[in-house]
Amino acid sequence: MPSTRPFRLFLILTLFFLLAGCDRQEKRPTYKIGYMICNSEIETGERFLPLTRYLSDKVGVDFVFVPVDTQEFEKRFKSGEFALTHTNSLLYVILKERYALELVASEKRGQFGTRTAGAIIARAGSGITRLEQIRGKKMAFGPMLAPTGYLAEYDLMLRSGIDPERDLAHYSIPSGSFKHEKVIYGVLHGKYDVAAAPILDLEVMAREGKIAPEEFVVLGQSPIVPYCTFGAARTTDPALVQKVQKALLELTPEATAELDGQRLKVLKAAGIDGFEQLLDKDYDPIRDMARRVKMPPYQEY
Amino acid sequence: MPKDTLDRALFALLLLSLAALPVVLAGEDSSAGRRGGDKAMERRMAYQARVELLRRVYAPVETLRDQGRLPEALLKLDQLARQYPQEAHGHILKGEILGRMGSLDQAVASYVQGVRLNADYVDDKSPLSRRSEIEKTAEEGVRAIGADLKLYPENRSLAAALKNVNYLRSRLAGGCE
Repeated sequence: MPSTRPFRLFLILTLFFLLAGCDRQEKRPTYKIGYMICNSEIETGERFLPLTRYLSDKVGVDFVFVPVDTQEFEKRFKSGEFALTHTNSLLYVILKERYALELVASEKRGQFGTRTAGAIIARAGSGITRLEQIRGKKMAFGPMLAPTGYLAEYDLMLRSGIDPERDLAHYSIPSGSFKHEKVIYGVLHGKYDVAAAPILDLEVMAREGKIAPEEFVVLGQSPIVPYCTFGAARTTDPALVQKVQKALLELTPEATAELDGQRLKVLKAAGIDGFEQLLDKDYDPIRDMARRVKMPPYQEY
Repeated sequence: MPKDTLDRALFALLLLSLAALPVVLAGEDSSAGRRGGDKAMERRMAYQARVELLRRVYAPVETLRDQGRLPEALLKLDQLARQYPQEAHGHILKGEILGRMGSLDQAVASYVQGVRLNADYVDDKSPLSRRSEIEKTAEEGVRAIGADLKLYPENRSLAAALKNVNYLRSRLAGGCE
């Protein structure tokens, strides 16, 4: 058996390099991405866990998927918990104005690409065909921080001379998950007379065969505004942000990621068509609406 | 010169054949012309039938569009796109509606898809022509998207959108695919 000094030295050095290599692999930097819960926590996970894994693979760091309730998002972001955020466009504006969140990429989904609109709908054949006729009616809105399920329609009503607080019989927001679908079904089944429905949800539900375009009438529609958005905290390394942005913009329908032993198509799982690089000024219509409706970040007490 | 009755008969037959030849040839020419004419007519009829079919299939969308019910028109169009995914007419109508709703980049992208599938939409002489609408959108695209790209030259989405605008301009100028 060789027991010479060079041989021992060779063994020690080999062991050292092997261990050093292992160590480097285990200690990939970890960053949290805060995902605003869309319809439910489970649905958000199913949609965005493959995307999170894809980003980890592409960027060479470990991204952690963190589902966050919309109402808690700002508090948790403020505490410095997230390097990156995936939120709706109103939450992006709030975090941009208050904490200088940086725009990374905007989600593309549906007929308008990176944008969508809010609509006020009634059931076809209900006798309600014009926006003025919603006075004195029962109305349902989506969640309060939803840009095209609440803000856009509230603003549309104010601009049309209808005060939601005084001119409706009453309005409500359904409880629990899948609120947008609930308000649309609520109108079709006669629970509400009219509802605030995101055009994107109408599109998706029609495509899935859940509803037919002939079943409802659109009484009014808001301007088109950006939809879901990836942002980066001011403190996140700019080189990392750039890599994430590049990975998102280069995503194609063929891109896959492995999750629990399964190889999944990233965009298909997320139910989106891709990402684009919008400008912050593209979010100005959201800012204008929030100002008129006096919602965050411009609320008045 | 013919010497006997047979010679005279043969000579007469030859003269008759020579005299009849132009008539026979003219007859053949007119029959070939008729066949060519039939084909051209068939092509025209098929084209007109196609235009009529497109008008009928997309009539509900055009009605909604003309009533200003643009979101419903888009939803109806989306339904038809699942039945006829490769039909250029749907892409052109979508471009027109999206343009009216203020979604310039998406309008341009839809026009590009439509024109790639069928160049008749930029042909002045075609009954399907939407040349003036496409021209207007392309001009607006150069102005708006071009201005943004000057300010943000690194923006990849703006660069892709301007590439689409330039494709439309090239087709409008008579360029090929």
